[in-house]
Formats: sequence, C-alpha cells, structure tokens
Amino acid sequence: MLDKLEQALNKIPLSPKDFLDIRHSYSMGESFTVRNGRFDSISNQTMGGIAIRALIDNTWGFTTIVNTDEESIIKAAKKAIRIAKTGSKYTKQERNISDKWVYEGKEITKIEIDPREIDKEAKFEKIIETEKAARHFSDTIAESTSYYQESHKEEVIVNNKGTKVETENHIIRIGKNVIGREGVKMQNVTDSLGGTGGWELIEGWNPEKEGLKAAEEVEKLISARSPPSGKMRVIMDPSLTGVFIHEAFGHATEADSIIAKRSILEGKIGEKVGVEQINVYDDPTIPTLRGSFKYDSEGTKAQKRILVKEGVVNEYLHTLETAETMDLEPNGAGRTMNFNYTPQSRMSNTYVGPGDMSLEEIAEITKDGVYLCKSYSGYVFTDKGQFSFNCQSGYFVENGEITDLMGNVGMTGLILEVLNNSYAIGNKWEPAFKGNCGKGGQWVPVSGGGPNLAVTDVVVGGNS
Amino acid sequence: MNSDFSLHDLAEKVIRIGLSKGADQVEAYTLYGAVRGVQIERGSIRRFTDTSNSGIGIRILKNKATGMASTTIFSQESIEKTVSEAVSLAKISPPDTNFISLPSDTTPTPIIPDRCDDNISELSIEDFTELILATIQEAKIREDAIIGGNFSAGKGERYIINSAGVDRFSMQTSVSGFLSTKISEGDDIGSSYHYDAQTTLKKFDYLSIGKLSGERALKMLGAQKIDTTNLPILMDPETTYGTLAPILANGINAFNVFNRTAFFVDKIGDQIGSPKLSVFDDPLYPGGVDSAPFDDEGVVPKKIQLVEEGILQTYITDSYTAPLVELENTGHASRFSFASKPRPSPYSLNFKNGDISKDAILSDLKEGILLIDSSLESSGNRPQISDQINQGFYVKDGEIQYPVKEAVVGCTVYDIFDKIEEVSKETENRSGHIAPWILLSPIRISGGK
Repeated sequence: MLDKLEQALNKIPLSPKDFLDIRHSYSMGESFTVRNGRFDSISNQTMGGIAIRALIDNTWGFTTIVNTDEESIIKAAKKAIRIAKTGSKYTKQERNISDKWVYEGKEITKIEIDPREIDKEAKFEKIIETEKAARHFSDTIAESTSYYQESHKEEVIVNNKGTKVETENHIIRIGKNVIGREGVKMQNVTDSLGGTGGWELIEGWNPEKEGLKAAEEVEKLISARSPPSGKMRVIMDPSLTGVFIHEAFGHATEADSIIAKRSILEGKIGEKVGVEQINVYDDPTIPTLRGSFKYDSEGTKAQKRILVKEGVVNEYLHTLETAETMDLEPNGAGRTMNFNYTPQSRMSNTYVGPGDMSLEEIAEITKDGVYLCKSYSGYVFTDKGQFSFNCQSGYFVENGEITDLMGNVGMTGLILEVLNNSYAIGNKWEPAFKGNCGKGGQWVPVSGGGPNLAVTDVVVGGNS
Repeated sequence: MNSDFSLHDLAEKVIRIGLSKGADQVEAYTLYGAVRGVQIERGSIRRFTDTSNSGIGIRILKNKATGMASTTIFSQESIEKTVSEAVSLAKISPPDTNFISLPSDTTPTPIIPDRCDDNISELSIEDFTELILATIQEAKIREDAIIGGNFSAGKGERYIINSAGVDRFSMQTSVSGFLSTKISEGDDIGSSYHYDAQTTLKKFDYLSIGKLSGERALKMLGAQKIDTTNLPILMDPETTYGTLAPILANGINAFNVFNRTAFFVDKIGDQIGSPKLSVFDDPLYPGGVDSAPFDDEGVVPKKIQLVEEGILQTYITDSYTAPLVELENTGHASRFSFASKPRPSPYSLNFKNGDISKDAILSDLKEGILLIDSSLESSGNRPQISDQINQGFYVKDGEIQYPVKEAVVGCTVYDIFDKIEEVSKETENRSGHIAPWILLSPIRISGGK
C-alpha cells in the first residue's frame, strides 16, 4: 500500500509551499456482549478507506474514498486541492506545514498471543462466566453485562514533504458492567482490563472473581450513604485522578484549542498553575496501555510530553499544524478515529506523577472530606476553564479516617484553581483508568492514572 | 443516489448469499451519506470537507442465534466474506429463545413532507460559505469576539431489506450549523453557543445561530459563584428537551424495561410525574430532523402518546422487545451506526404546553436558577443526576442577576419529573423537538462560594 500511495502522490501537481497527505486506514475487529444470560451482541466489523488532506493557500481541503486504486486517489486528491483553493479566499489566518519534520518508519505493536488465533469459544467463556457470576450473586443485580472487544488497525501515511510511515496497532479489552436495583435506587459498577497488545493482556482475567467483585460492590452501594453537597476536600483514587487530570487539565493543553483561542491555558507556557509537587505527563510510548502508539495519524513519531513540570505549564499537545504555528517541534499528538476524520490534537496516556504520602497519611491531613473512587465520565469547557467529572463510589473521610461508603456523585471545578488547590500526592502510582475520549465526534482509546491526589475546595454535587 | 453502485442491489445480494449459506433469516442495512462541511476558526474559514461514506450491516439468524458483521468495503470478495463471518458467528452463538422473528411489515412507506430539499444537495461551496460568513457576522457582537464552529450540508440514503419481506428505502437531506462565541474582559470570560439543524434550507435559521451565540456569550460575562442551597430551577425549552427527553428515552425503552434497568419499570398506567406533564412522540413530523418513515428495522411507526397528565401510557418497542414486554411493535428500532444492533429510541418528542406565560413564571420567581440551552443528565443507567451548571443564571425577585459558575445540580430523574411546578404556554419547535419552559420546585444545588 505504501508504494501505491507514493506513486499516486507523485502524480499530484503541488507547489513547494503546499502540503498534502494521504492516509490509508484498514481496521477489523470483533466484539461480543453477554447481558443477563443472553448474547446481546456478537459481531465482526471491517472498515477501510483513504483520507486525503491538502493545505493550499492557508486553507485545508479534505476528502475521503473507499476505493484504493490510483485513479480514485488522484481524483480525490485533486478534489481536496480544489475545495481548499476555493475556500482560501475566505481564510484570514496563515497556516503552513514545515518541511523540517519528516518521518519514516514501520511500527507493529508487539503481541505475544494474537487474539485472532484464539478460539471464539474461549473468548465467549470468559464473558459468559463473568456475567453469570455477577448475575447469580443476589436478587439485587438487575442487569449483568460482560463484553470482549479486539481491534486491529493498519495505517499507512505519506505526505509530499517526505513522510512515509506504516503502523499496525492492536487493542484488546474485556470488561463488566453490573447494575443493582432496589425500587428506585440504582447503582452500577463498571471496570475493564486490556490495552495495546494481544491476548496476554487479558489472559489473567478471572471471570468468577471479576463478576463477584462487581456484584459485591453494587450490593454495598445500593445501601450506601447519600453523597454530600457543597465545597469540600476530595481525595481521589488513581483511576479518578486519571479522569480528573484528563478533564481538568489535559484537554486544555490540546494545541488546536490553543490556536483557536478556545483554551484557558493559551499563553500560559512557563506560568505556574499548580503546587510545586505537581507533574503531569501524557505519554503514548508506554507499552501496552490503552492510549499507546508509536506514530500518530499524521506520521509523526510519538513522544512523552511533560504537560506540567513542578506546577508550571510546560508543553502543549501538538499536530503538525499547531507545532508549525507555534514554531515548535511536533510531539505526535495528531490522532483520528478512522479514515473519515482529520487529525486533532489529542491525549494518549495521561497521568499525574507520584508523590510521597500513603493514603492513610493523606486521610489524616484531610480530616474531613470525601475519598472518591473510579469514574464513569467527565467533560470540560476549555474556553472558560470549567470541568466536570463523576465517580462510581466513594467514602466519607471523618476525623482523619476513611469511614462509610457513599454512592456515585459528580464534581465541578475551575482549571486555573484546581492544581493550586492540590495539597497531597500519594506514593502509589497506577494507570488505572481505561476508556475512550470524545472530541469533535471522534472517539479514541486513552488511559489515565496517577497516585491518590487530594484537592481542596472541589464542589461536590450530592443531594444531601 | 450513489452513482457508483446500487445499494439496493448490494442488499439484495446479501440476502441471497446469507440464505444460501444456511441462514434462517437475513437482514441487510445499508447507509450512504455525502456531506460537505466547513470548519470555522477564529472567525474565518479553516477547512472544507467533501466526504462520502457508506456501510452495510448484516444480521443473520440461525436457530434463534444471531450473528452480525459489517463492512465499508463493497467488493464482491469483501461482501462474501462479511456474510460468511455473520453466518459463522450465528452458528456458534448460543441461541436466544426470546427472539421470534425479524419484522415483516409491508405496509406502504409513508411520505413525510419537507424531508428532502434539492437546494441542499445542490448548494455550492461558494453559496454555503457566503451563508456561513453572514452567520459569523451576526455572532461578532464585539470586534474581539472569538468565533468557532462547524457547518455541514448533505444527504443520506438508507436501505433496509430482510428475508421476511421488508424492503424499504428512504432519503433525507440536512443542513446544520454550530457556532460558539467567546468574549473576554481581562480574566472574565463569557462563552456560549447555538445550534440549528433542518431538513430544508428555507427553514435553516442560520443568522439566529450567530446572533444567539454572540448575545449569550456577552450575557455570560461576570459569572459568580453561589452558596450551596436548595433553589427552584427554570428551564428554557432547549433545557426542557435536553433534560426530559433522555430521561424518557431510558425510562420507557422496552429493552431497559425488560432488563429492569429502565427508570419506569412496571409503571404503565401509573403516575410517573407531575399532572402538568404530557408528551407524545411524532415519528412522521413534517420536516423533523429526527422524523423517519420507518424505523431501523423497516417498521412504519405511528404517533403515540407516551405520558398523559403525568401518567405513563406505553413503552416504545422494536421487533425483539415488543413480545418481551407484551406490547405491539411501535416501530422505534434505532441503530447507533450501520454496524449496531437496533434498540428502541424515540423520534421527535412533543412536550405539551401549559397556560401561563414564561414571563409570568420568571417574574413570580423570588429566587432561583434559570438554565439556558443546557441539560441535566444522569450518567449511565443510574437515576442520580449530579451535573454542572453550564449556562445558568441566578434569579432574584423575578430579575436575572448574574451568570453562575462552578455549581452542580444534585437530584434524581424522579425529582425532575415530580417537581414540575409550572409549564409555559409558549413552546419552541426545533425541527420537531417541541418543548415549553418548565419550572421545577427547589432542588439541591452545590455552589463554589
């Protein structure tokens, strides 16, 4: 495919200032879901096509095709050039892609056990047994679900500056979602295992243990205390720390938001936004995590990004375009969901660096507040700097001790205040959150984590 | 119509291949879409897109077991492989005894007025851009306003064919625009947005997208933190729809009802909210963006009353769930994409208006929060709501005082339905989504003060 794309690229008339890239993407995957004892979904998906981007006279043109013959590629490329040229008279900003950053390489995610060679029955068994263990736990369990997903994606990227990159990435995941109900009271517990790699990442999933664990947690949550309301001290577990830093800070460092003047962190490089002990990283190069990759969807080699260094904003997440606009080196954050979309500045594996306190010590200095665990979701308005996220469960912290269990609750805060309000960082580090991040209609796999993190003055939205 | 090939022929071929490979029933669901898009950044054009996408989802039934496969690659080899994959998955999948049959609805496909507009299909990039530039101008309420957004125009085609007799085709055009405006005064930031989507160009109120986005951004300047307290909440029509529609979509969905995770399990005939709440679903609403002449299994739906004076009337169903909840198939099957399995979901909800003016509701409000174009959502399947206030204003003695920041509403979906105190006589109709202003009696609000 690389040769085919190069040959087509060479036949497209371009001037030295123009930029054009061709990205071929092919993915296939399987997903199985068992819900309440029945197979709810058992499916196989393949998706393939070519995306063509042209930057002509400061304006982008973008087209997609599913045919991969040379004639179709050239025709689509000419269309991308034509619509970019048509639009350029309406563009006021200057945009360029530099000749400086050219990448060549081939990277295949290492897999020890290829899931495509594992019998489907073995995959079924893991989710059937997980679901069954949770469902049979008690009458409180209203819905028990377990799922298995694998996807295999190949990308080939060439551009007229000289980049030639081929990648093959494999993602695998097994998970559970258990809902308990007593009258109008409902709680659910969700968790998963997996990442970038093969069957070896989920081989250790013990179905019975995982199913029972979720069911037990749900049962306890049904009769847990109601969460409090108001401004208070919050200790987060590593999973929630991951979601918190992703929403409260990570999105605001995405350089396309900075360029568009839609981020409250615009112009904040070198400014102190947090306590000195806070370090925040985004690193796609860590092997096996859900957000890991070696080259992004623009062909740029991925690298570890230090977003916050000792409380000071250090770096943004760049695409080729944003790096050029800020006269910096691209750091490989241009990601896409599939060939139908253009690259955006995105996070990968985002985490807070470890500190030196145990959870017990943090609870002791917290005195009164809440200790919150795991997350369902979150979102942020980067332009005004307000974020929101929620937890699956938590505990009250009373007189320096972690006490009663409480149900799920949402929180909100302000980006420019929250890292300065951090007062304790735990010594145990874990990339505990595994999920998907949505932006502009594109969902990409990510992970997040860190240590226990304690923040004061967080607004907790309980109903008591 | 896609010029390269016939999606209908492709779907028919899938049925033939599936049956020849031993399937009991086969369904082919094909989508084609061609869309032109324009991205706006800092008040001018950043990117033009011209894309076309298509895909086919295949559902195979064999001995009551289901196998599904999908692809975007339409070569003979790919289609053969995809059907074979679906058949082999059905053969190894455990049977689901709840499954009865794919639908066999052959009633004539109704015609929905204003569903297709050649003015959208034929809209040139130049004309589309001129329209967008006029919208940006409306949003430019001040010279320093930062304006961004996306516009798109296109058409979509949908074919559904199954071996039980369904053979449907529909086409729809759409034009949509989203604009956000940000205004700064030092560290004070006012930010807002507006959105519209229509099936015809003449109904597309593009200038209002810019105007409201700009005006609201200006109003969001000077946001203040509030105390933690209980306050009434006045929801504008967008907030009413954005909050109540998802609650109903979960609460009366027969799949969730069967699994006992719906908010309103075993509640048909029961009071599920204030007597001031009445809602019907109108799948055939003329020109509605979410209207459709048939559902995603090819069944023709009808207008149905969902809630009457607070009493739940029915659940919404599809071919799988109707027998499970012992109701007729209401034709509400909906797919997230061509690759997904269908689940019941509403089309265009119409929340009945009341008899008091919105101005009277506001002027009678001693103290409360006014929510504009927001939604209070529960996450997951849980009834607890704990959601931040995005575009809210503190109201005192009937007057809007200032926008609110860093505040969270904490309640349950049941509170939202029970606490409906007033319903305005005015409604807003956003392409078939019809809702009034609604006042909720006091709800817990956590403030950042």
